[in-house]
Amino acid sequence: MSRKISTEVKSSVEGIGLGLRYDLATELLERRPETVSWLEIHPENYVNRGGRYQQMLDLARRDWPIVTHGLSTCLGALEPFDGRYLRELRSFLSDIEIPWHSEHLCLGGVQDRFFHDLLPLPFTDEAARIASQRLIEVRDAIDLPLALENASYYAPQCDDGLAEADFVVEVLERADANLLLDVNNIYVNGRNFDFDPKAYIDKIPPDRVVQVHVAGHFLRDDGLRIDTHGEPVPNEVYELLDYALRKIGPVPVLLERDNNVPPLDELLAEVDELWTIYQSATEAEHAR
Amino acid sequence: MLADRAKAMQRVCFDAEPSDADLELLGSRERWLVYRELVQNRLVEVINVALARTKAAIGDESFGRAVAEWLSTGGPKTRYLRHVPVELADFAIPIWRDKEVPWIAELARFEIASWNVRHAPPDPEPESELAFDRRPVLSSALEIIRLEYPVHKRPTPAAGYEPDSTFLCVYRDADHRASTKTLNALAADLLDAWKRADETVAESVQRIAAKHQTEIGPAFIEKLSAIIAEFIIGGRL
Ligand SMILES: [Fe+2]
Repeated sequence: MSRKISTEVKSSVEGIGLGLRYDLATELLERRPETVSWLEIHPENYVNRGGRYQQMLDLARRDWPIVTHGLSTCLGALEPFDGRYLRELRSFLSDIEIPWHSEHLCLGGVQDRFFHDLLPLPFTDEAARIASQRLIEVRDAIDLPLALENASYYAPQCDDGLAEADFVVEVLERADANLLLDVNNIYVNGRNFDFDPKAYIDKIPPDRVVQVHVAGHFLRDDGLRIDTHGEPVPNEVYELLDYALRKIGPVPVLLERDNNVPPLDELLAEVDELWTIYQSATEAEHAR
Repeated sequence: MLADRAKAMQRVCFDAEPSDADLELLGSRERWLVYRELVQNRLVEVINVALARTKAAIGDESFGRAVAEWLSTGGPKTRYLRHVPVELADFAIPIWRDKEVPWIAELARFEIASWNVRHAPPDPEPESELAFDRRPVLSSALEIIRLEYPVHKRPTPAAGYEPDSTFLCVYRDADHRASTKTLNALAADLLDAWKRADETVAESVQRIAAKHQTEIGPAFIEKLSAIIAEFIIGGRL
């Protein structure tokens, strides 16, 4: 069964958040900009780790609510989960008091090996069945709401790009789960596989969306777009965010920047832009 | 079947040469080679940071060969990116010991010890103050290593290192960086015992003093007190 999101913790995760990353932590934690309302972390970077990472998280938690986004319990793998890790994750997540956790709808490993990257799942009934079962398994293990995130992919999985949206919805419904909607991933996939990103968003049940990701991506010379989180957010992705928020309403939006991290002021300018879009799109929702 | 695709993805990403059959099964040769590059680049990037001096000493080509050979064993077994260089080093150090000048493997051991202490788990909470009749609780971010070459001394000499056996305590300092302290053989044994924590401080002191045929007299006590004071002040004990 899907878990209810605690209204108390959820209400503190609102507006625009930023991913807490090593490269930007020093400046962010010193300046503590008020326009950043919450932070997102990858638990794999903190579980069983002291030193600078432990300090970063302690400092971050003084002022900001935290949301977590997993990297290594991807929903498409076939092997049983490592029970010990799930227990460690549960204890870590319960210590830092989060409203929900999220994980990618992709293949992160095979047998006892990890790709450390997000490999695509075919949009098949078999993959939807496996992913939804695994989602339920992780959600039960951590005893928290678990959102899946739609992933970017570069190798064609079928002829119709919009089949990905049907696949995502299928997994959401089978597991009665929440969605972390990544608008940059939809945009990247739309351009790489020639479908209309807005038509994709139209297929998403708005009530399931608990969080949105926004990022920039890299355009290769051969035209392929790679989801690097290493470039500024392009206008087309801002536009798609506006479109999505008008449908979904005021869910928290995270700016992801993992590579090529610029000075904080450049990221804060993007955060401001996100606030402008967020306010205009969600005011429209309230007015309706 | 998803299982067959998953195994093909693993081989395409990690094998020395991805096979035509796997690329055909997955569907798009060109795009799957993109995945291979993305997957390998991320792993190589963290390895290059952790073993920067070893890589510079061996040269890009030879270092890259060891990394490729390790990748072709099927990819990392760890979910933690920070442990990837440790897995590579476990595989490559025996190779470097065979094929490279002898101090290279020592340098890699030292770099990995430094990397490990930087990323080690939080320190355990001691149940009580240090006492001679209790087991010691040492920082988890601390390793005692014996090096046959003084590779912790920088910069790397152009002609390489001359043999000079050194005991080193590598630990995470207050700025979360890896620092080193040179130890004598007795202090190294003592810290090793404290790290194992399977006997009380008094038992380990007596056993190790006897092993080194050292009398537990005023001079010994003074040195021991100095070590303990330094470790307590540094937060390592
Ligand atoms: Fe994302």
